[in-house]
Amino acid sequence: MFLWQLLLSNQWVNPDLVPSVGGVLSSAEKILLSAAFHKHLYATLEHLALGFFIAVPTGVAIGILIAESRYWGQVLKPIIYLVFSIPKTVFLPMFILAFGIGLFQKIAFGIFSTIFIILICTFAAVDSVKSEHLKVARVFGASRLQIALRVYLPSMAPILLEAVRLGMIFNVTGIILAEMYASKVGLGQMIANWGENFMLKELGAGILIISVATILFNETIQWFEMKFEHWRE
Amino acid sequence: MQSTDPMVRILGLHHTYQSRDGQVPALVDINIEIQAGRFVVIVGPSGCGKSSLLMMMAGLLAPSQGTILCSGYPMTSPNPDVAGVVFQEASLYPWLTALENVEFPLSLRHIAKKVRKNKAQELLSLVGLQGFEDRYPHELSGGMKQRVSIARGLVQDPPLLMMDEPFAALDEQTRITMGDELLSIWEKTRKTVVFVTHSLTEAAYLADEIIVMSARPGRIIDRIEVDLPRPRKYEMMSTVRFAQLRERIWNQIKH
Repeated sequence: MFLWQLLLSNQWVNPDLVPSVGGVLSSAEKILLSAAFHKHLYATLEHLALGFFIAVPTGVAIGILIAESRYWGQVLKPIIYLVFSIPKTVFLPMFILAFGIGLFQKIAFGIFSTIFIILICTFAAVDSVKSEHLKVARVFGASRLQIALRVYLPSMAPILLEAVRLGMIFNVTGIILAEMYASKVGLGQMIANWGENFMLKELGAGILIISVATILFNETIQWFEMKFEHWRE
Repeated sequence: MQSTDPMVRILGLHHTYQSRDGQVPALVDINIEIQAGRFVVIVGPSGCGKSSLLMMMAGLLAPSQGTILCSGYPMTSPNPDVAGVVFQEASLYPWLTALENVEFPLSLRHIAKKVRKNKAQELLSLVGLQGFEDRYPHELSGGMKQRVSIARGLVQDPPLLMMDEPFAALDEQTRITMGDELLSIWEKTRKTVVFVTHSLTEAAYLADEIIVMSARPGRIIDRIEVDLPRPRKYEMMSTVRFAQLRERIWNQIKH
C-alpha cells in the first residue's frame, strides 16, 4: 500500500487509472455498509457455498471410486488430467447457452471449475495411502469400515485439506467470472459494472474486499492444516 | 490342541503368480513345521519369496495351493489372536503417538480405553520405551520405531510373532542391539518367532533353527539346527562355529 501511494504521489502511474489509497479505503468502507453490497455479497456467497459443497464431496467420492478401481482408473485418469489442463473459462459461453444466466448456471460453472482439481488431489490422496499401513490394519483384523476411517481418512487428510483450499480458489475464480460475464447479481457483476463505468475507487475497493476475504479463507484452512498435522515431519 | 501339535504347520504349499509371460512359479513345495516356543529364521536371497511366504502365514496372501495352520487355525485370513506381525520400518501410523500405535490393535476390538492404555504401557516398558509414550514416530529413531512395532505385534498376546525383515533398514550397530533386545524379549515372553531376513549373520545369531530358501522359484534347500548356546553373546560371532554356520548357508544360496 505504501508502494502504491508512493507510485501515485510521484505521478509514476496515471492517477486517472489508479485511484488513491485513501479513496479506495473510504469507498471500501462505504461499500461494506451499503445495502446493495450486502445483496450482491449474499448472492455470491450463495453461489460459492452451493458450488463448493456440491463439488468437494462429489469430487472426493468420485475420485476415490476412480482411484480404487483399476479399470476406471486407467480409463478416466488420463482424460481428467487432459481436461484439467484446459482453461475452464472457454466453456463459460456454453454454460450460458445450456443453463441461462441464473443461479443454476453460476453453480454449475463453479462446480465445473472446481471438480477437476478436487479429483486430481483425491487421486494423489489415495496414492498417498501406504500399502504397509493397510497391511498392518488387515493383519490386526480391521474391518473395511475401520480401514476406511482409521487408515484411509488420516492418510488422505493432509492432501484433502489442500484440495479444499485449492478447490475454493478455483471455485471463487469460476463463480466471480461467471458473475462478471453475465449476471444480475453478485460481487463479480458489481466489479464488472464499476469497471465498465470507470468507477475506479469502487473497483479498487471491490478487488480489495474480495482479496481479503479469499486470503482469510486460505489462511484459515492453512491454520487447520497446521493444527491437524502436528504429527508430520 | 495337543501340546505335541506344532505351532506352525505348512503342508504342500505352492505359489505361482501371473505375469506377462504366463504363470511364474514363486514358491515350490514348501513344507514347514515349527514347534511352539522356537525362534525360527527364514533366510534367502532377495526375491526368493520368503516375505511372500510370511505374508501367507499371516493370512494376508492366499497361496495357490497348500494349507497353513498356525496354532491349529487355517490362516486363510489374518487372525490377530494367533499371530502378531512386525513389518519393516515405516509401518507405524505417523498420526498416532507411540502409545496409540501400540493400542491400535486393541482399539480395533473396542477394548476399554483404560484397559488398552495399561496394556500398551506395559508393552512399551517391555521394549524399553517407558517415557516415550507421547512421541510421534517421526520423533523416534529407527530402532525405537521398531521397538514400538514389536510392542504393537505383542500387545494382543498372540502365541506367534512374525517378523518381516524388521531390522533391514537399521544401521549395523542398532541392528545388533535390536537383535539382543529381541532375544531378551523372546526369553521373557516365550513366543514362537518366525523371522525373515536376508542377513546370514542375523540368521545365525538369532535362530534355534534356520530355514534356507533358494533363489526364485523359492524352495527350502536346507534346515539348520543352530547349536550355539543361549543366551547369545556378541563375541560368539567371531567363533569358528558361527563362521561354519554362516558358510553353510552361504554355500547354498550363493549360486
